[in-house]
Amino acid sequence: MLVYADNNATTRTAPEVFEAMAPYFCDLFYNPSSMYPPAAQAASAVRDARAGIAAFFNVGNPAEFLFTSCASESNNHVIFGAAAANPTRKHIITTTVEHPAVLEVCREMERRGYRVTYLPVDRQGRLNRVDYVRALEPGNTLLVTIMHANNETGVVFPIAELARIAKETDPEILFHTDATQSVSKIAMSLSKNGPRDPKAVDFRNVDFLSCSGHKFHAPKGVGLLFLRKGTAIRPFLIGGHQEGGRRAGTENVPYIVGMARALERAAQTHDADVLRLAGMQKYFESELLRRIPDVEINGGEATRMPNTTNVSCHFVEGESILYELAEYEICASSGSACTSGSLEPSHVLRAMKVPFTAIHGSTRFSFSRYTTEAEIERILEVFPGIIQRLRNASPFSRENKHS
Amino acid sequence: MAWEYSEKTKRLFLDAVHGKPGTHLGEIENPDGLGEHGSIACGDSLRFTFRVKKNDDPMKDEIVEARYLTFGCTSAIAASEALCVILEARHCTPVEALSITNQDIVDFLEGLPDQKIHCSVMGAEALEAAVFDWAKKRGVHLENLGIDIQEHEKEEEGRLVCKCFSLTEPYIRRKIKELNLRTIPEITAAIKAGGACMNCHHSPGGLQDILDDIWGTREFPIPQVSGELPIFGQGNTVGTLHTATADDSGPTETLSPYQFSKKVEHVLDKYIRPMLQRDGGDVEIVDIKGSLVYVTLRGACSDCVGANATLKMLVEKTLRDKVQTDIRVIQV
Repeated sequence: MLVYADNNATTRTAPEVFEAMAPYFCDLFYNPSSMYPPAAQAASAVRDARAGIAAFFNVGNPAEFLFTSCASESNNHVIFGAAAANPTRKHIITTTVEHPAVLEVCREMERRGYRVTYLPVDRQGRLNRVDYVRALEPGNTLLVTIMHANNETGVVFPIAELARIAKETDPEILFHTDATQSVSKIAMSLSKNGPRDPKAVDFRNVDFLSCSGHKFHAPKGVGLLFLRKGTAIRPFLIGGHQEGGRRAGTENVPYIVGMARALERAAQTHDADVLRLAGMQKYFESELLRRIPDVEINGGEATRMPNTTNVSCHFVEGESILYELAEYEICASSGSACTSGSLEPSHVLRAMKVPFTAIHGSTRFSFSRYTTEAEIERILEVFPGIIQRLRNASPFSRENKHS
Repeated sequence: MAWEYSEKTKRLFLDAVHGKPGTHLGEIENPDGLGEHGSIACGDSLRFTFRVKKNDDPMKDEIVEARYLTFGCTSAIAASEALCVILEARHCTPVEALSITNQDIVDFLEGLPDQKIHCSVMGAEALEAAVFDWAKKRGVHLENLGIDIQEHEKEEEGRLVCKCFSLTEPYIRRKIKELNLRTIPEITAAIKAGGACMNCHHSPGGLQDILDDIWGTREFPIPQVSGELPIFGQGNTVGTLHTATADDSGPTETLSPYQFSKKVEHVLDKYIRPMLQRDGGDVEIVDIKGSLVYVTLRGACSDCVGANATLKMLVEKTLRDKVQTDIRVIQV
């Protein structure tokens, strides 16, 4: 049995999504910008997709959503575009645990003469609101860009509150959230009038929101960017009239259709899925803690996504854990340096001051609505043995240290 | 995008160009009001005429017939037709007709695609011009009624910047200079440019670029001298906060940042904290920036959602009364 537990990396394209996309490849392949009647079908597919997505986010004006190629593009668009449109402001606030598509762009902004405040997190991955308030500079802060849910730990930041505080401090401060990991899993409302669904988080003070289709069962290669109407931002991709001149490039019709279908599908079973995932998470984590000594759940005391468990097993190395897991056909990921391609261990876990031996032994399991209880049981059956075997080989493990 | 017209728009267009009885294509000879509007840049133009039933008091003239000749696309013709239908159905005076907006036309057409909104604007502007023409002929002084009769002449040739309202770059540039417009909201308020889809605000060659070109790239705002407090908190080198000016009533002495924070603390301790503590709550200052006071509400009161907003207002009002009138309290 193949167990896929790496849904924060990417997700399976849902069959109904694939089906919705199919007509737009060989049959309705037309350019939505063309004038002849068949092209109108492609255009209306894009229009319907945009309207459906706007409704999903409780937004009245579909034109506030742009289609992009990925969340990384959306993030680049926001940071570079907001800076270009507001040249008198030279200060950016972000966190130390952002995705590289925000973090590296902020570093680039520093090279271009901007000051960037990187907010620290505590041992559980939480922000300190006092640090945040002190960082805000009325009249000078251009942009706050803070992720909604962390991709490595699943820790959720209180974006609604942070955005409100920014706007109350200075309404001209722009607020961006990278919601790549939370869209479809946490109900959110971007309406200025507040949520209709009382369970939805109220993002009325958020100006920009990024996300990516392939994290919620649409295919890779399509992203979304919410730009609140009237907010000052310049385009990032220039050279076409598409998206009202705000993002050039022929619309990726099938993928746009797929993304809208994926959100529609997610909404259908959202409440039940979240409940089930949260139940499985609780069971999974309590069993890990019970069955394996010297483990900790990273961010375990923070508000977290119901689908993400990041577990640090002290004294063992993550890459070898993944290798062993793969032997049992279990797909997961690690914050270990050896798996990052850069030989740098996870910047997120380092920011949380997780001890180095524990960072290297971190494993991330991330689930989806397709995850079954049998898969969870399979991981629980195999994982403790893997850790035990690797610890037996480790010079740092408790037993070996004492001997 | 292929144009996405409503059924109503398509029908009005077809009926009009096929000369179906009851449609309004044409021109009234010796009209009581004539208005033209359009732009070569965007390829459409409307010549609009109406006839009134004259009254001894010109203010009571009633519009009884309206006609148009339109060079333009499907929606331009449908919008012109819609304008005439709306107008004739109202049996109104020319002055009353000025209340018809482009939105009325859009609604009548059951919606227009974004990139076609300008067709409805053209209708409304031509109507306005025709009413001005009527007023001139009938000796009615519209300016006495508080109506701005500035001619809406627009440079017709040049790059189209605001597509919704068909406004070209030369026109926008001239107006920015004449009216000393410094920001996009000022432009929109004055000449409507950028007022509908807003896409031209920050697009390359858009309104902000034109503003920057005319006035130079924006610089740091020059702080006002009176009644301001330096921001304190963390390492601010640039900003100052504009706070109360001397005109404001209430406490007027100028406080140093240190005095200000001491006084805020004193007032919280003396007036607010004891009251909250009686109910098991408390308030704590997180930070102060200029006249912004960040507080956390702790204890029993912080669990009570409804009470929080009221409490924030109470804290704010007390600080305004006792310390400085422009204080804003932000809950953290």
